[in-house]
Amino acid sequence: MSIDNTGLSGALSSQSTGPAPLDPKPVPPADSVVKRPPGPWVMLWKKFSRNPFAMGGLIVLLFFIIIAFLAPLLTPYDPAAIDLMNANLGPGATDHLLGTDELGRDIFARLLYSARISLLIGFSVALASVVIGSVIGAISGYFGGWVDTVFMRIVDVMSSVPTLFLNILVMAIFGTQIKYMILILALTSWMSIARLVRGNFLQLREMQYVEAAKAIGVSNWDIIFRHLLRNASFPIIVNATLMVGGAILSESALSYLGLGIQAPATSWGLMLSNAQEFMLIDPLQALYPGLCILVVVLAVNFIGDGIRDALDPRQQGIKSRRRLDKWRKTYSKSEN
Amino acid sequence: MTEYLIRRIAQSVVVIFLITIVTFLLIHAAPGGPTQMMLSPGLTPEVMEQQAKNLGLDKPLPVQYLKWVGGLLQGDLGYTFKNHLPIGELIWPRIGKTFILMGSAWLVSILIAIPWGIYNSTKVYGLSDQTASFISYLGFAMPTFWFGIMLQQYFSLKLDWFPLSDMYSRGHEGEIGDLFMHLVLPVTVLSLGFLASYMKYARASMLEVLDQDYIRTARAKGVVERKVVFRHALRNALIPIITLLGMDLPILVGGAVLTENVFNWPGMGRWYVEMAISREYSVLMAITIVTAVMVVIGNLLADILYSVVDPRVKLGKQGGKTA
Amino acid sequence: MAENLLEIRKLTAGFATEHGLVKATDEISISIGKGQTVCLVGESGSGKSVTSLAIMRLIEYAGGMILDGGIHFHGEDLTAKKQEEMRSIRGDRIAMIFQDPMSSLNPVFTVGEQIAESLRLHQEKSPGEAMKQAIELLRLVGIPAPEIRAKQYPHELSGGMCQRVVIAIALACRPELLIADEPTTALDVTVQAQILDLLRNLQEELGMSILLITHDMGVAAEMADRIAVMYAGAIVEEGSAIDIFDQPSHPYTVGLLQSIPGFEGERGGELYTIRGTIPPLGQLPSGCRFHPRCPHAMDICRSQEPPDFLISGQHRAACWLFEDKPVWSGTNERGGKR
Repeated sequence: MSIDNTGLSGALSSQSTGPAPLDPKPVPPADSVVKRPPGPWVMLWKKFSRNPFAMGGLIVLLFFIIIAFLAPLLTPYDPAAIDLMNANLGPGATDHLLGTDELGRDIFARLLYSARISLLIGFSVALASVVIGSVIGAISGYFGGWVDTVFMRIVDVMSSVPTLFLNILVMAIFGTQIKYMILILALTSWMSIARLVRGNFLQLREMQYVEAAKAIGVSNWDIIFRHLLRNASFPIIVNATLMVGGAILSESALSYLGLGIQAPATSWGLMLSNAQEFMLIDPLQALYPGLCILVVVLAVNFIGDGIRDALDPRQQGIKSRRRLDKWRKTYSKSEN
Repeated sequence: MTEYLIRRIAQSVVVIFLITIVTFLLIHAAPGGPTQMMLSPGLTPEVMEQQAKNLGLDKPLPVQYLKWVGGLLQGDLGYTFKNHLPIGELIWPRIGKTFILMGSAWLVSILIAIPWGIYNSTKVYGLSDQTASFISYLGFAMPTFWFGIMLQQYFSLKLDWFPLSDMYSRGHEGEIGDLFMHLVLPVTVLSLGFLASYMKYARASMLEVLDQDYIRTARAKGVVERKVVFRHALRNALIPIITLLGMDLPILVGGAVLTENVFNWPGMGRWYVEMAISREYSVLMAITIVTAVMVVIGNLLADILYSVVDPRVKLGKQGGKTA
Repeated sequence: MAENLLEIRKLTAGFATEHGLVKATDEISISIGKGQTVCLVGESGSGKSVTSLAIMRLIEYAGGMILDGGIHFHGEDLTAKKQEEMRSIRGDRIAMIFQDPMSSLNPVFTVGEQIAESLRLHQEKSPGEAMKQAIELLRLVGIPAPEIRAKQYPHELSGGMCQRVVIAIALACRPELLIADEPTTALDVTVQAQILDLLRNLQEELGMSILLITHDMGVAAEMADRIAVMYAGAIVEEGSAIDIFDQPSHPYTVGLLQSIPGFEGERGGELYTIRGTIPPLGQLPSGCRFHPRCPHAMDICRSQEPPDFLISGQHRAACWLFEDKPVWSGTNERGGKR
């Protein structure tokens, strides 16, 4: 079977030339060149790249990753350098691009270096959650029985504790270090992945090829990690992507509350916390870091949704859905 | 029904019991443990030991745990370390204040989100649906505290329409009108988050129902489209929505940590952060447990509500559709 | 030419998909006389259900559309009607029952309410009166203790019971045409026979016409006055039940009949199967749509689509094997009851 990716656009572009698309597509003759069907990743990318929101998100995210890496090249200022002589400068007043904060630190430099923290935490938390969630979900779903019961109870308990409360508790007890923050954010967000992987495994476990693998003596661990987990990889990716945004938001919240990143390090949440105190003097200070968080999280969510839509055969882009509607109106004999 | 309830309650008790263990262990795993926190600094080791003995901190962990849980069972949430005030008396007024804030936000968002989501399910990808989708994206991606700060800057500092923070203005304590003005901004902030998820959920739930066979049956009967949506589809779509709302009930007592901090609202969330920063472990433990109990009760209520709205679910009988 | 109750002429209906417009039915023509039972037989995916949805004009709600052709009910073209106009016909003069009775009933209303709704819609009955009549309808479709059943919810009833309720809903306003889309497929074999009996008895009692859609030649044999065999969106053979069973002409029909166990051929012998599978919609082969699976395929079959050839009086088949016969005019004389 040939998969015709240009089906929609091809049919639509010939709209003006009359009822040509009405003709059913002929089956390609058998002697035509047999192309290897594209792999799942290629298919995914093709659909993903046609979604403008997802592509926009990807470009924005890449932009932030690049400026985070190149931060020292983009600004001559040290984000932690206090310069009380030049405190609370407005944007563009001097060579401080966005001005300075109450301690005379360059706001632009702080924004750049904050991107490092946010992205670091976002991605490490997602990665750690995927590892924890996949392992627990896989074991639970593959072995079932009491192992499953115990793990699922743990998932229930973890989901019953309000996440932010637990995060605050742990940060207060163990101290505000990045490693603890990554750890606790991961420990409070792996549950959805565990549920997902477990559900996937419960289905896949009954499949023929698992039986076959067992029959030829493949070990349980090999089946789990080589065969089954690969099958669950796409939904995991979607979930993990959305988790990056959640982690970035949590980091900023904790830092805002004073229980996250501490000076001299810098983060968007911490900047907001400072900015709120000096709201009357410089209202713009609170604008930038919040916008950065919003844009990055939006970008990540668009990417996640884009992957999900690309994976779901029922989903079509908003645009193509609209075109279909228009098309339907053109061709339908009866009015609605 | 009773049999099912008993089973569910038994399950809940187990969950709460596990939460007490986790919380207790977490607190005692802290570097230095609570002992150092509870004792006044700068004491000689002998005095310290004596004080630890008085507080029961020299006993082995299991004994301490049992003593704490025993107190919880009798409704004793313990005392604050610093001033030795009873936590029980401190916690309830704060729960009430948070409830006023969250309850208003919850109501406002339900009243907007559910009708809107339902409307959008009938006009998928229309202008209204796109707007709602845009708001949802914002709601999920915007840091709530930043949204709060922005509202403060514009509507209090610049326009001076609403007070900047707190629950009442000085000298107006207990006045409804004053309370209302103080509620507007934080309720707006909190509603955006609720709105984003409820609207999405209501829409998805309706879309799923509108795809069912019995909707086709209704149309085949000649039912007008408005009635198909509001009579046949809505009642079915409301079932999962009500369940979701039930599960969200516990947020009403503990879910406003950030907004309370932005607007200096004297509720549970702000208190929790204060106590966390000053390391009042017994308060943190108490709040965690109270919230966890609320979550479990909320889930239970959601289950019961579910059986009320869905005739298929008779509690205690198997075979009903599960959430 | 006598007037038929329902006359479908060259109906083309389909769906817009990502890969282009897909025709689910391709210029199909069927006519149903008053009091007649016509069976539309075919494999799943042959376009039977789309046809029924098109007649009801419910196809628009399923994301499809009528592209061309006409559906004439009492001489009025249903495809030209607005949905509001269709609403007064649906459930009143044309009613429909669906494949899966359990999911066809709304789980949050009692069965009595669901039957009464039809009556209140089309006959403007008061709620009390409608409920009384609903109970009578439940009695009519053979449900014992109808007063109690009327107050129950669908999940409290068995599948067979549910299908009786669905039939009661459909019959509430005494329709002239009943469309039954695989009414017994989801039911147990013993219940199937009961439901078919019920439909036959009700038809005699109420004098309605039935369009019965099924994949089961056995059901068709039991119920049909006329049979239309559908393959990949087109009607490949149509005739009276006697024509079809005594003189099956299209190779597809022959194949269908031969694959019924114990119908033709020796007991214990190998069961006949038609090789290959029905092509997915939108990927039809050139020429005759059946030729890749046809044991008699000739050169002309690969290149040219066959017209309908008239085998005898009211028996037509779209197959080049009958090239010597006259081409069918496009309408049937009104056929009497068997």
